[in-house]
Amino acid sequence: MPNFKYLIIGGGVAGVTAAETIRMNDATGTIAIVSDEPYLLYSRVMLSKPYFFLGKVPFDQVWLKGEQWYKDKNITFLGGKTASGFDAEAKKLKLNDGSEISYEKLLIATGTSTRKAKVPGADKKGVHYLRSLEDGKGIMEDIKGAKNAVTVGGGFIGFEMADLMQLAGLKTTVVLREPYFWDPILDEASGSILENAMKKAGVEILHNNEIVEITGDDHVDGVVLKNGTKLPCEVVIYGIGTVSQLDWVKSSGVMVNRGIVANEFMETSAKDVWTAGDITEYKDLLLEENVQMGNWVSAHEQGRIAGLGMIGKREAFKFVSFYTTQGFGVTIAFVGDASPCPDRTIISRGSAESGSLGRILIAHDEIEGATLINRTQEMGTISKLIEKNMKVADKMKELGDENFDLKKLLV
Amino acid sequence: MANTKEYIRNRADSNIGKIVIDRDLCIGAASCIAVSGVTYELDGENKAVVTGADAVDDATLQMSAESCPTKAVLLFDKAGKQVFPK
Repeated sequence: MPNFKYLIIGGGVAGVTAAETIRMNDATGTIAIVSDEPYLLYSRVMLSKPYFFLGKVPFDQVWLKGEQWYKDKNITFLGGKTASGFDAEAKKLKLNDGSEISYEKLLIATGTSTRKAKVPGADKKGVHYLRSLEDGKGIMEDIKGAKNAVTVGGGFIGFEMADLMQLAGLKTTVVLREPYFWDPILDEASGSILENAMKKAGVEILHNNEIVEITGDDHVDGVVLKNGTKLPCEVVIYGIGTVSQLDWVKSSGVMVNRGIVANEFMETSAKDVWTAGDITEYKDLLLEENVQMGNWVSAHEQGRIAGLGMIGKREAFKFVSFYTTQGFGVTIAFVGDASPCPDRTIISRGSAESGSLGRILIAHDEIEGATLINRTQEMGTISKLIEKNMKVADKMKELGDENFDLKKLLV
Repeated sequence: MANTKEYIRNRADSNIGKIVIDRDLCIGAASCIAVSGVTYELDGENKAVVTGADAVDDATLQMSAESCPTKAVLLFDKAGKQVFPK
């Protein structure tokens, strides 16, 4: 049975950053990365960005680490293999091909999967999700010659894919269950800035609606909506959230909830088993709650923290998460925890009319998070204010003044 | 030449003499800021700009560049040779 000192499941940014961190601190310990994808580290983020998607940069720009890097760092890559369970006592990982690998320290960084549509016809060709490089390639191929696209969902994937579809010249319709884009994370005023820009670009948005059937023979030729409307289209892209595949982790004796439960050190309930990245539900020291964050920057930092823990340099994950995107000429940033819980006060900066609107969410006299539309330049400062746990009871006027330079609060 | 901005680094203990941001590639993912918030900021166009070229050591600077999901942060040594991405 092969044996590795450090065994990492998941070849994305969390797993690879952990491997790199381990190698920086342990020059000789054996490291292996098991991945269900055949690919070395690539940029998942780039898959939905216009210059890549529309071929303005070479396809190879997607690769973040080449074969030589894994060779130089002496990291074994075991691609195309899926973990099916492990024995935390005997320290053995089982793969779905029946083989086993023994380890001393294990990291689970498998990420999440796309939530799938459950309507008749959802298995037809031309129906897409976006998570992997394979998914991205499939969409890029399928839009050639297509004229109409329908995207489903009012979040990042829905927004970015609608942008790409209209840039690629397809007549694009967005179907939302919600009354406006990004409900409930954004308020209606912020959502209206996005929607106005989308409509201006020629995108049609259908609210409070959903697809009940996908029509066509082998390949999609249209969709039927809840209200009976039929839309002809050759491409359907769903961006309706993610799910964590946890059964194999749970049956291996590790505590799970929505994700794999971890403390602030990325340690799971099992000895010598760590977790990092999107699948991790960790104790957030700054927000003082358990959270699961699906974004590149959190996965990178959690990978580093898990890697440090695995080589015995235990460090707590204390990090203000953020995510940004842009499309239709609008920039969007989310900082910290931007969910609108009932106990939170929301201070607005700017207005929908001026096209620039920030919302700062406050609880227990501290900033918990923010949403920023066309104000991303304030993201760095707001994350620093969250990090400092600054008391803001007497700063409400400044926070609500769109012309006040927030940096002055840091001094 | 692509749409780039150059920032000179003048740290005595550093082998890196210049940081370049490729603004066409930059998508404002802000992973560089996550690694080193004293080196970078986002501007109003959601692009990274360098505000503290000398603020951190080479290892941290290297990690900030490597964290970028679009390889928009380029590092050059003091002789002008590109050292990242290789």
